[in-house]
Amino acid sequence: MLARVAENVYWMGRYLERIDDTARLINATTHMLIDSHKDTRFSWPVLINVLGEDNRRFISEGGSSERTVMHYLIAAEDSPASIRFSCTQVRANARCVREVIPRDIWEEVNSLNQFMQAECTQASSRRKRYNLMVEVVRRCQMVIGVMDGTMLRDDAYRLFNIGRHLERADMTTRIMDVLILQQLTPAMGHQGRREIQWNAVLNALGGVESYQRYYAREEGDSDVIDFLLTYKAFPRSIVYCLDKMQNEAKLLPRADSLLQTIEKLRKELDSEPLTQLSTHDLHSLIDDLQAGLIDIHTALISDSLHTPTR
Amino acid sequence: MSEVFALSPYQPYPDCFDELVDSDGNARPQALPIARFISQKGEEELVRRQQQLDATIQSMGVSFTVYSDSQNIDRSWPLDVVPRTISSTEWKRTSDGLKQRLQALNLFINDLYNDQRILKDKIVPAELILHSKNFLAPCQGMTPAHGAWAHICGTDLVRDQDGQFYVLEDNLRVPSGVSYMLENRTVMKRVFPELFAESTIYPVDDYPHQLWKTLASLSPRQDITPVVVVLTPGIYNSAYFEHSYLAQQMGCYLAENSDLYVDNDKVYLRTLRGPRQVDVIYRRVDDIFIDPEVFRKDSVLGIKGLVRAWKAGNVAIANAPGSGVADDKVVYAFVPKIIEYYLSEKPLIDNVPTYLCMDDKEREYVLANLDKLVVKPANESGGYGILIGPRATDEERAKCAEAVKANPRNFIAQPTLNLSTAPTLCDGVLEPRHLDLRPFILQGAELYCTTGGLSRVALRRGSLVVNSSQGGGSKDTWIINDEG
Repeated sequence: MLARVAENVYWMGRYLERIDDTARLINATTHMLIDSHKDTRFSWPVLINVLGEDNRRFISEGGSSERTVMHYLIAAEDSPASIRFSCTQVRANARCVREVIPRDIWEEVNSLNQFMQAECTQASSRRKRYNLMVEVVRRCQMVIGVMDGTMLRDDAYRLFNIGRHLERADMTTRIMDVLILQQLTPAMGHQGRREIQWNAVLNALGGVESYQRYYAREEGDSDVIDFLLTYKAFPRSIVYCLDKMQNEAKLLPRADSLLQTIEKLRKELDSEPLTQLSTHDLHSLIDDLQAGLIDIHTALISDSLHTPTR
Repeated sequence: MSEVFALSPYQPYPDCFDELVDSDGNARPQALPIARFISQKGEEELVRRQQQLDATIQSMGVSFTVYSDSQNIDRSWPLDVVPRTISSTEWKRTSDGLKQRLQALNLFINDLYNDQRILKDKIVPAELILHSKNFLAPCQGMTPAHGAWAHICGTDLVRDQDGQFYVLEDNLRVPSGVSYMLENRTVMKRVFPELFAESTIYPVDDYPHQLWKTLASLSPRQDITPVVVVLTPGIYNSAYFEHSYLAQQMGCYLAENSDLYVDNDKVYLRTLRGPRQVDVIYRRVDDIFIDPEVFRKDSVLGIKGLVRAWKAGNVAIANAPGSGVADDKVVYAFVPKIIEYYLSEKPLIDNVPTYLCMDDKEREYVLANLDKLVVKPANESGGYGILIGPRATDEERAKCAEAVKANPRNFIAQPTLNLSTAPTLCDGVLEPRHLDLRPFILQGAELYCTTGGLSRVALRRGSLVVNSSQGGGSKDTWIINDEG
C-alpha cells in the first residue's frame, strides 16, 4: 500500500466507529432519560460533553434542549461531533483509498453517507430518531461485515482495524467518564452490583447481556468498571481494544514505538486496583487512559505511517 | 423473422438515422427485444426503471466532476434507461477499422520521432509536425516496446444520415470514459435482468484485464510480474472516479506525483513497506506535466527524472510522452493517407470530410460557408471552443472568422453532420436525441478493441454537444449477436 493513503484507511476506521458509537450512545441515553426520575441531574448537554472539549462552547452558548443537542449530534453540518459530519468524513477517506478496498465496501460506505445526508433531518421525534439511529448502526455493521467477508488481510485491513479499536476504546472511556462526572456515582446494590445508570453505559456499549453473563461467571467479585476496562472477552472493553490493536500492529512495518505505547497502557491498567476506586480516582484513571490513547495515535502517525524518504 | 414492431408513439427525426428504428418507425432486428419490452410494459415502466437506475448509480457512487461546480465535486453520472444497440456483424467491421487506425497511428508516431520518412516523402507537411507544440523534441530517437506510443486510444465515432460510421476524432493523450462504459453495463444488468436473459448481448467486462495485459506487455522486466501504477493528478481531477476505478479493477497502485521518485534512472513508489521499483506507469496526467526536468521547467508538478528513466528503458509510460503529436485535428485530416502509407490498405472507416484552414483555398471556402460548417480548434478537447455554424449568431461567426484568419493552422472545419439519434427518455416520453460512440482501443504486444464503447447523448432537444461537462448523458451500448 502507498504510504500516502495509509492514514486515510486509519481514519476511515475511526470515523466509522465514531458513527456507530455515537448512534448507540444517543439511543441509550434517550432510553435512560425516559426512565429516570424528574429530579435527575442528568441533562442533555452531557452528551455533548461526551464527545469532547471542542464542543463545550456549544453548551456555553445555551443550547441545552433535547432538540438542539440532538441536532448538534446528528444533523449539524458544521459540528465535528455530528454523525452527519463523520459520514462525510468516512466517505471522503474511502474515496481516497478506493483502489485498496473491494467495491462492495465502497458501495456500502457511499450509501451510508447518502442515507445520512438525506435522512438526518428526520430526527425530530424520539421515535423517528430511535429508528434512524438503529438504521445507522445497522449500516455501519454492514460495512464491517462486507469488510470482514471480502477484504484482504493486508496492511490496509490492519490500519482500518487499529483505527476502529482506538476510536472504540476512546469512546468507552468518554462514556464512562461523563456519567461519572454527572455524579452518577455507582451505587452499590445487592451483592455489590453497581446499578441503575450504569445500565445506560452498558446499553450504549451494547453490553447489557454480556455483563450479566460475566457477572454470573465471576461470582460477584468484579463490577461494571472492571468489566468495561479489563474484561478481555468483551469487545468494547479497553483491554480488548488494546489487545486487538497490538495484534494488528505486530504485522505492520516500523511498529516498535507503536507496540511500546500500547504495552505501556496495558501495564498501567493491570497495575490499578479497580474495584474500590473513588469517583475522583476513577476520573483521573480515565484521564490517564485517554492520554495513553492519544500517545498510541501519535506513535502510529509519526512513526509507523511516516514515509521514509529514500 | 418477419416480426414487425413499431416503437409508437416514438417519432424519429425524418432526416436522421435512428439507432433503434428504421425510417418507417419499425424496430431494427437488433433492437427487437427492447422494442418488445417497451411495447409490452409501456413508458410508465421505463420511468420506473429509470428511477431504479438513478438510485443504483447513486448508491454505487458513479460520479463525475465539473470544475465550475465548486459546491459538489461528485455529481451522479447521467445514464439513459434505453440502451443503444448495434449488430455484431457491423461491430466486427468497425472494430477492425479502429484497430487498423491505431496501428497506423503508432507507426506514424514512431516514424515522426525517428526517421520521419512520411515527412520526407511529403505525405504529411513537415512544418505541420515540426512546428506543433505537441511534437516533443526530447522524445526523438525513442522506440518504445512493440513500437507502440499510444497504448490507449479513445476514438469518437459518429453516424451521418446515411447510417455509416465515421471517425470524428482520435483521442491519444489521456482519453477517459471507459469506466462509465463498464459501470453503465453493471447498472443495466441490475435494472434489466430479464433483457439480458433474452438476447445475446456481448459482455464488456474484460476491459480491465485487457488493459492490464496491455500495460504488463510494456514492462522492461518481462521475467517478473510487473509493478503497474495508475498516475492521477489527484482527487480533484474530473476523471478521478475513473482513475481509482481502473486501479481498483486492475488491482494496481493509484499514485500521485508525490508518491513516485526517480533514483539512478529507476522509478520508485513510496509504499508503507519502503520503496518499490515501478515498471509501468499508466499516466492520466498530460505529458508536458510529467517531468519538470524536460517539458515544463516552471512546473511544480511532475516527477523529476521520469523521462530520463523512460529513455533509459527502465520504465514504460502509457501513453508514451509525445503521443499527442497525432492527437491534433489537423493531423486527423491526414489519417486516411497515413493508413495507406504505412499499411498499404484502404481505411476501413472513413473520416468526416475536413477542411484545413492552413490551406488557402480550403480556408476561403470555410470563411465563405461559416453558416454551414462546424469549426474546431485543433487542440482543444471536451467540446470547448467549437463553433456550430448553423446555430451560431452573426457575432459569434464574425469572431470565429477573425480567429481563423489570425491563426489558420489552429483550425479545421467540417460539414454539420446530422448525427444519428436514439430514443431517449425525456420527461417520461421517448424522444430522439443525438449521440456518438467512443470505443477504446489498446495496443501493446497485441491489439484490442472494446465491445462497443461509451455512447454519449446530447440530452437537450436538437443539441449536438454530447460532453458530460456540457449537459450530455450516456447510454449503455449493446452489441447483439446476429451471426447465429
